[in-house]
Amino acid sequence: MRDYQAKVVENKEIAKGICSITFDLGEEAVVRCGQFGDILVGGTHLLRRPIAICKVDKNLVTFCYQVKGEGTQKLQKVETGTTLSVLLPLGNGFFVEKEEKKVALVGGGVGVFPLISVLRQYKGEKEIAAYIGYRNKDAVCGVEEFEKADKFVAVTDDGSFGEKMNAVRAFEADLKKGNRPDVVLACGPTPMLRALKSLVEREGLVCYVSLEERMGCGIGACLVCVCNLTDGQHARVCKDGPVFNANEVVL
Amino acid sequence: MANLQVNLCGVTLKNPVITASGTFGFGREYHELYDIGTLGGVSTKGLTLEPRFGNPTPRIAESRGVILNAVGLQNPGVEHFISSDLAWLKSTGTAVIANVAGKTLDDYKNICQKLDGLVDMVELNISCPNVKSGGMAFGIKPETVEEVTRYAKSGLKKTPLMVKLSPNVESIAANAKAAERGGADCVSLINTLTGMAIDIERRRPIIANNTGGVSGAGVKPIAVRMVYEASQAVKIPVVGMGGITCAEDAIEFLMAGATAVQVGTANFTDPLVCPKIIRGLNDWCDRHGVQNISDLTGTLQLNGK
Repeated sequence: MRDYQAKVVENKEIAKGICSITFDLGEEAVVRCGQFGDILVGGTHLLRRPIAICKVDKNLVTFCYQVKGEGTQKLQKVETGTTLSVLLPLGNGFFVEKEEKKVALVGGGVGVFPLISVLRQYKGEKEIAAYIGYRNKDAVCGVEEFEKADKFVAVTDDGSFGEKMNAVRAFEADLKKGNRPDVVLACGPTPMLRALKSLVEREGLVCYVSLEERMGCGIGACLVCVCNLTDGQHARVCKDGPVFNANEVVL
Repeated sequence: MANLQVNLCGVTLKNPVITASGTFGFGREYHELYDIGTLGGVSTKGLTLEPRFGNPTPRIAESRGVILNAVGLQNPGVEHFISSDLAWLKSTGTAVIANVAGKTLDDYKNICQKLDGLVDMVELNISCPNVKSGGMAFGIKPETVEEVTRYAKSGLKKTPLMVKLSPNVESIAANAKAAERGGADCVSLINTLTGMAIDIERRRPIIANNTGGVSGAGVKPIAVRMVYEASQAVKIPVVGMGGITCAEDAIEFLMAGATAVQVGTANFTDPLVCPKIIRGLNDWCDRHGVQNISDLTGTLQLNGK
């Protein structure tokens, strides 16, 4: 983990309300898929924005974010050439075990971006199927990346792109056809992860989920972003997560 | 090079910069970014006799220039701190200030007894606004501030006692005096101001606890004023905090009457802010011909006087 003074080399809208920002760190950073960075937008915003790392290419690190509140609106207006403080890499990230050959990615909304980092890290090494849900065709993004998977199923809530269903149902439909992965990696809205958790528990599948929570320090010191574990303990989403075994976390 | 060393009721700090309780854990995470042994001191996450789970999430919200938090004193308990973190934290070379909270007067005495002689200082949290039984009840009226201070002090034979004062009170001067009467060796202030931030789409407070403690750059003028008033009221040293983000902010507090300062929320904005403040204090002193930073304490002159 380091606090980089990172130069913005690109900042653009890639789908309705979704932007992609690429920083030049000035050096190569070692980042695991599923880890995140904490971006300081500055001004009267005292808290950094924790955002999943989508792509790493030598000195360049790309984050994708949904423009939602004042902080991300401000981030959207940041111009190329600006230097921002970016703390990374943070969190544990996704791990695929050696014996796990077939990987299913299940993602929805902005949760699709950390899954792109998984695909980029394990492509070629693992057989990867991606089940990705979007709200509608205007929200579709990352397709050029997911098409590089061994299998890519895109669905939308309204049927305007792919079939009308959610990512969990798309995954379940394939499961019923006998396409059983060794491990499921997921990120998306909590209701989606909840539905997935109950499915993988019924099916006895190994599943890891990446969680989101409002954060303070981002490095594990302030205990703001805790989640509940099934053994009654608390875990810090920023430091112990954001990736947890679906069996071990209360959603 | 200016002499940044300060003496805080018998404890020598290598510089006047202490990290504020609750923002810095027990220091391990920040030590991954820099050597925390360079800090004047670390005030630990608030400790209680038994482990505490804290409040539901969300525990944090933002408003312009400030944040609100309601963590609710989540901590592993004082015994766990003593067995798992204390030796490591001491080994870094920083002064260890154990921040403690309790539900009853006896809790405060007991937890102080457990830490007596083990840490450099105990900081009494009688002003956490985020838990129903986190000592806030003790921190409001001068009579109870004095009483809880006396109880805590009776559990400390070797270690000096710092009492952290709440700003959510009628008179900060009266409460500082009450702590002094109760036997405090120094006071620290301000703890957070109680506030609320609302998500207008959901028509609900953002924080699960509804209210939270307000901190960050925006509270600084209130904190400076209160530090001034408290330091005028007592003979014991005052530790100032509230919205410090740079060396110049820290110098305001010193001039207002503080012997040392604490930095909290700014660690979230810039995790390297404390070493920057320490360097900045040295540079400021050098530029202004100040040889000992302790000479700045209380040098404020009011207008019209």
